[in-house]
This record gives sequence, structure tokens and C-alpha cells, in this order.
Amino acid sequence: MPLINMKCDELIPERGKHIYVHDPENPVVPACNIKTIPGDMTERGCAFAGARGVIGGPIKDIICMVHAPVGCAWYTWGTRRNLSDLHAWALPGRLSNVAFNRRYCVVTDMQERDVVFGGAKKLQASCLEAFRLFPEVRGMIIFTTCTTGLIGDDVKAVARQVEKEVGKPVFTSESPGCSGVSQSKGHHDFNIQFYQQVNALRARRPELKMQDEEKTPYDICLIGEYNMDWDLAAIRPLFERIGVRIAAVFSGNERIENLIKMLDVKLNVVHCQRSAEYIAKMIQDGFETPFIRVSLYGIGQTCDALRQTAAFFGLQERAEQVIAEETARVEKALAFYRSRLAGKRIAVYVGGPRVWHWIRLLEELDMEVVAGACTFAHEDDYQKINDKLKGQVLIIDSPNEFEIEEMLDTLKPDLFLTGMKEKYLGRKMGIPTVNSHSYEKGPYEGFAGMVNFARDIYQGIYAPAWRFQHGLPASREEAPPCA
Amino acid sequence: MRLNEIPIDGVPYDRLKVEKIPASPAYAPRDPELVPAAGRTLVINPDRICMPIGAMWAVLGVHRAIPFVQGAQGCTTYARYTFSRIFKEPATIATASFHEDAAVFGGRRNLLEGLRNLVVRYWPEVIGIATTCSSEIMGDDLVSFVKEARIKIGGEIGAEKMDRIAMVIINTPSFAGSHVDGYDRAAKAFVDTLATGRDTPDRRVNIIPGLLYPGDIREIRHLLEEMEIEATVLFDISDTLDAPLAPPQEIPYYPPGGTTLQEIRGMGNALATFALQPAAGAGGARSLERRLGVPAVVGLTPVGVDATDALLQNLSRITGREIPASLKIERGRLIDALADTFHHTMMKRVAIFGDPDTVTGVARFVCELGMTPVAVAPGTPTKTFEQEMDGIFAGYRELFLDTPKVFNGGDLFEFEEYLKTLPRLDLIIGNSKGIDISRELEVPLVRVGFPIYDRFGYQKRPIVGYRGAELLLYEIVNSILDFRYPDDRTQQL
Repeated sequence: MPLINMKCDELIPERGKHIYVHDPENPVVPACNIKTIPGDMTERGCAFAGARGVIGGPIKDIICMVHAPVGCAWYTWGTRRNLSDLHAWALPGRLSNVAFNRRYCVVTDMQERDVVFGGAKKLQASCLEAFRLFPEVRGMIIFTTCTTGLIGDDVKAVARQVEKEVGKPVFTSESPGCSGVSQSKGHHDFNIQFYQQVNALRARRPELKMQDEEKTPYDICLIGEYNMDWDLAAIRPLFERIGVRIAAVFSGNERIENLIKMLDVKLNVVHCQRSAEYIAKMIQDGFETPFIRVSLYGIGQTCDALRQTAAFFGLQERAEQVIAEETARVEKALAFYRSRLAGKRIAVYVGGPRVWHWIRLLEELDMEVVAGACTFAHEDDYQKINDKLKGQVLIIDSPNEFEIEEMLDTLKPDLFLTGMKEKYLGRKMGIPTVNSHSYEKGPYEGFAGMVNFARDIYQGIYAPAWRFQHGLPASREEAPPCA
Repeated sequence: MRLNEIPIDGVPYDRLKVEKIPASPAYAPRDPELVPAAGRTLVINPDRICMPIGAMWAVLGVHRAIPFVQGAQGCTTYARYTFSRIFKEPATIATASFHEDAAVFGGRRNLLEGLRNLVVRYWPEVIGIATTCSSEIMGDDLVSFVKEARIKIGGEIGAEKMDRIAMVIINTPSFAGSHVDGYDRAAKAFVDTLATGRDTPDRRVNIIPGLLYPGDIREIRHLLEEMEIEATVLFDISDTLDAPLAPPQEIPYYPPGGTTLQEIRGMGNALATFALQPAAGAGGARSLERRLGVPAVVGLTPVGVDATDALLQNLSRITGREIPASLKIERGRLIDALADTFHHTMMKRVAIFGDPDTVTGVARFVCELGMTPVAVAPGTPTKTFEQEMDGIFAGYRELFLDTPKVFNGGDLFEFEEYLKTLPRLDLIIGNSKGIDISRELEVPLVRVGFPIYDRFGYQKRPIVGYRGAELLLYEIVNSILDFRYPDDRTQQL
């Protein structure tokens, strides 16, 4: 039976349903997307984080109004590296230091009296003030949290009222932190609510749809792409060069008006298939717009993505040309990194999809995945992981910190690809890490991004720091060699 | 093939220039009616976080202690993320993992199961249970839940083992205060729960440092060692959040150090309790005084000459220990540094923001440098802030170029909009949230206080004590030189 229980979970047998050693002959899908065991050192976040941090945060010309005490808003202020290019004016002739979506943290600051008497009035006043203070914004999304979800403020009514008064679209994302098992619930909530509200808005105001003169036969929407560390700088030109037009990105560096128009494209190209495939499916059902699933990490997968997209529009020839040029451009650098990284053993622990996105990428560098773990993956993610794995690999669903430690301790990988919270734990155990959520020095997507990723992995493994980790040598002869 | 033969970067990070697109055609000032925080409902760019993270900070300073957060996962995960961003260290914190069912039925089951799972896997010595908005709104009765949990877990692991694990409940609903208050409540909850007697009075002192960094706590310990005073530092993050890399690392990860349970239990026996930050820790000191008669010495945050003098004098007064020559030499070196640098600090305008006690401490020090604090803004309002500022400014007003603007609470949006109206500003002192305003106004930022996540090393470099003040002074004066002085005028300073 490939399902196993780890040593640290001896007294918590239910964890055994979540952990398996992949056997290509007998693949299993673990228990996943279910409740976290209380008392866990989980890496999971809350539903609010998924909605506000992941999908709402990257939209560049709106206000993300967090209806909560300040903390929930503060934590989502300029943290995830969802960069964008739209800047407010700081002073005459000078634009703000960082882009608008990361420059301001806007919150209703719920206080005790608001909790007792309700916060709807406060929210309405706050929304109107925000539109007055930031006339440059084109819309707003109101996010609820545990506090405002539990007291049951009618935020939809407030949104309708504010929209009527200011004439700009006001959406709501009701996804309180405690409403789901992980941030994945927030992704799902956001997709559904946003899709429904955009449809309703388009019915009310048809002029917001994409007008015929703007449409081209090659319009696509890139769904589930959040412009981490300017991934779009590496990706967007590739699609443009094969002749398609990215009419909208859901939601990296995107304007709200383009997201309202995203229902009018010819094809949806879905990158993050965990956080955003929902909306692609709803668009397919509602508008008969097909979608394709792609990965934009690694050379092979990026090539596949371009080929698939090009095939849909009959642009194969141009795609092959772009692929030939781009692969030639990065060939030498990747050959170097491959020569240094071949045979290295890697553990990957990310949210969900990146585990399967990266298996092939790591193979392209001749590295071996020895363990994988996902914070919020669902069944389909584990199927995709299993499809890509060739050997016996330990896979943990929603691990707690102790399981991660046991995994690192027993498998001793050469590198641990993981996020902000766990990377320091890996380092304490003498295992190099690369921040795989917001990246170390991205972008990591596409051809050029692959070189950045390989470079950061190379730096991780070959840093001289690791030569000194085993303590003060007993004598000079035992000292590590100088490079 | 060698590295210099290949193009190392795909998209060279430093050359990835993204053209900024203006959000509107031209600059227009923000609606002046809505700029002052008092004139609006909305909060923009708060310089304070939620109450539970202050409590978690405190618990992380206790030896083999784990914070347990009675709330949704985000309440824990975001805080862990924040600690890791600041300290570049792991922060082990458990969550009750509230999902939909908890929102309906309350958090009893989550607490019972959660504490049990935490105990049987991690065997902590102390569990600090911090509540959150959701558990407080649902009205979780933590006291009876914890009682029930102890009996249940005791039944499984044995009463003796259970007795060795202390549990402290810290009520931290975020709608009632900030991280500063959360730390303060943790200080009170720890001493109230654990320091219950004054049976064998000793010659130790208690230090509640407040939201100070590991470097600061080490500096405080240095002062105490020089004075030969034994002390309990509650909460001591100097090792727990600044641990060495020296594998093999035992698992599960417990960082070295932290205040021991035994030390905390003995706090009632001390000569006195020094709360170095009135807003973050005085609650604990006052409770020990009220309940057990341990005198409380609250403030001053020991930044700069006068406040460090006050700390040492108070320590000396209470313990009867002389201030040693070694510390007088350190003081002399600081004064020497003041004398060497004042041509570059005097009559410079500085704006200060951050946690209230960091602001008062730094404001007092910049006055000692002959600078003018043109604006001071504590992210968390306190009842005494304005009065404290008046007290500090009283001795220096005749040296000021302008009348300082004293905020109390408000937000960073108000603060930065105010700074934009000033005809001249030379320096901003505050946390990492000041970087945008610093870049936009082209005024250097000296990073101090909580949180600093966008540079390395600040959490290790003290600002307290004479030596800390000297380091802070160099940071201040060098920032001014870097920013304002042509290089041909810095050949002789």
C-alpha cells in the first residue's frame, strides 16, 4: 500500500491518509482538500488570503477594500510579489515608488463598537471616501474577513449603493478566513463570485463589453497568471510574437476593464489550474469559449504551451520560429547549469500546481525530484503529479512542519524548493532553499525565466556558505578548500 | 564551460526596467478634507498590525514554548510569514484551524483536539494560547475549554506529564487593539498565570523589553552583566529568533534560548520589574506590583544618553550595584561620537514613525543630537504619548527650527501627506513601511523598529544602551552624508 504514516504522526493516524510514496504501477490519490487537523503547524493560509492575496491583489487599477480590523489588510499589503506597472502620482512630476496595487493598504479598521453594532455603515462611508481620495481608480473589490463575515454585514447591498453613487464597478468577494479548509477556498469563491458579478455588470452596462472594433480573431485571455516578479515580461512577448493578442490576464498586472472584457476572447489559456480553472470552465459553459491547460515553466512546457495556443489559431509556423529563436538564446546558459546541477536531488513544497509544473522543468536540468508536498492541492493536482513522476517519490498533502522536517531529515535533498516560512527551517538543517512562491530573483517563467530559475538553484547549491556549516574544523588541514 | 562564458541571467533582474504608467493624467493633491485620519472613516496604510501577532512574538521568546492561535489558519500563517520576513528565521506557531464548522459551533473542538495534537507531537513546555477576532466574536470560553483539555490530554499522557506543560491564555481580539497591545496582554497573562507567589524574594530583577529586537536584548543583557545584576528577561527572543546554522538540527525544530518556565515562575520574587516599553509590557510589570508588591519601573525606552542613564541609575538604585567604570567608558564614547558628529546633525529636520515607545525613544535621542523632530507618529495611539512628547521636547525647544507636529494614532497616509507639505525634510526614521515615502520625497530612511523586512541585519544591531545609540547615530549621520553631501566635501568630516 503506497499510503504511509510518518514517524512524527505515530499518534495522529489520520495523517496517514495524506502521505504516500508514489508507485508508478499503483498510483494513489491521497486525502486532500479536507480539514486541517487542529494544532497543526500548517503552512495553509485562509480563504481570505486566497481571494485577496492571490487573485484580487494583482489587479492594478482598483482598490481592494478590506472590511476587517487592520491586521488582515496589513498582511496583504505589498507582500506577495504580484508586481504591476500602474503608478499613482506621488508629487508633481513624480510617480509613486511602487505600483498602485502595492502602494496603499485600504481597510475599514473594524473596532469593538462596529463588531457590536454592525459595520455596514462604516464600510459604505469608507468606500465613498476611498473613491474621493483616489479618483484615478477604476473600480473596487470589497473583501470580507472572519470578523465581518461572522457579524453578517450585508456587503452586497453596500456595493450596489456605492456603485450607484460613484458610477464605477464595485465587486464583492465574500470569503472570510474561516470559511474553507485553505486558501484554495478563497480562489474558488473569488472565481465564482467575480464571474457572476461581471456577467451581471455586463448585463447592466453592455458598453463595458469588448466592442467589435477592438476584437481580433486572435484574442486570448491568460488565466491564472499573477505576474509574480514580472513573469509577464518573460511570457507576454512570446505570445505576441506568435501573433496572438493577450486581451486580458486574470489577474496579473491587469486593469479591471479588461477583466470585464475577458469573456469576449476566443481562447482561454489557463496557467494556474488550481486557483483559476474554475472561471475558465464557467466561461466555457456560459460562452462556449474553449480553454487549454498549459504550463509556462521550463523549456519543454513553454514550447508546448506556445504550440497548443498557435495550433488553435493556425499559427504553428510562427510558433516554431519563436521557439527556435528562444531555445537557441538560452541553450548555452542552460547547458552550463545542467552540467553543474545534474544528479542533484530536490524536494518541492509549494501550494499545489507548481509541484507538477516543475517536475519536468527539474528533469530538464537533469535533477531528480525525491519528495513533493502541496499546501492546498486537490485530487486533480495529485493525478497530474502522479502522471509526471517516474520513480518512487514521497508525496505529502498539506504537511505540517514536523512532517517537512522528517522528510528533509530522512531524504536529505540537495535543495528544497519552498516558500518564505519553510525556507529558513530548511536552512537550519543545512539544506539550501529557493523561495518558490514569490521567487528569489525572478521572473522564472518562460525561456528567459528558466535561466533565472536555474541560476537561483545553482546559487543555492553552490553557495560557499554550506562549506562552513559543519562547525569549526579541528585543524587547518580539515578546513574547507578556498574556491 | 565556465561561468564567464555564458549569459548568466535570462532576464537580468537589475535590468528588468518596467516603464511606469501614470494612473491619471497629472498630479492632483489628495482631497485635503479627507487627508487627516480624524476626518475620515477609512484607514489607509496602517502602521499597526493585529493583536495576536504581538502575543505570538511574546510566546516565541519563551523557552520551548509554542504559540497556539485559536482562530483561522490565516491568523497564524500571516504572522509566521511576517516573523520569517523580519527575522529570517523559522517561527513555529500552531493553529486551531477554524473552518466553517467552527464558525457555526464555536472553537471548543478545535482547541481540545488542537492542544492534544500539539502536545503529543511537540511536547512543548509552555503553550501560549492567543485568541483571535473570530474566537472572541463566537464567545469561546477559553478558561473552561483549557481546563477540559488538560483533563483529557492528562488522561492520555498521564497527569504528571501534563503538569509539566504550562498553558497561558492571552485574549487578543484584533478589533480591540494592535500588536503592541497584544504583547502587553501577553506580558500580563504570563505573569498572572505563572508568577503567582513571592515566597523567596531574591536579588534578581525582571526586564520586560517590549518589542525590541534580538540585538537590543543582547545589549540590555550586556548592561546587566557589566552591573553584575542577574535578571529574568521576559520575553527573550535574542536566541529564539536569531539562531545559529549548525546542523545536525534536532527535530522537531526548537530554537535555542528563550525565558525558561522556571524563571517566569520566579518573577514574583524579584527586586523590581523594568518594563522598558510602557505600551508593550507595562501591563505585566504593574500586575506584579499590584499582586505581589514587586515594584514596577515603567520606561523610559533606553535609546540615547538620558534614557540609558535613567535605566542604569534605576537599576543601581534598586539593586544597590554601582554603575561600573566600563559602562561609563561606553557612555564617554557615545558623548565623543555626539561631539564628533553634531555639525552634520544639528538643525536637521527629521520625521519619526513606528510603535509608540520606539518613537518616544528615538525622538528623545534625535533631540540629543540637536535635530528637530518635525513630525512624530506612533502607529498605535497611547493615552500618554502627547504628554511624553511634551516632556521630551521641553528641554530642547529653543534648538528647534519648527514646532513638531505630534500625531497620536492615525495612519501612514496622513503622515506622509503631511510630510509632503513640509518645505524641507532631511531624514525619516521608521520601519520598512517608510521606504515609499522616502523614495518619493528623496529623503533618506533610517530603519528602526518593527517591522524591518526589506534589508538584512537590523534585527541584530541594537539601538538601546550607549553602544546601541552610537550605532544608531552613525546610521543617522551617514545617511545624511550619503544623501546630501557632495563627495568632495566629505574628505574632512
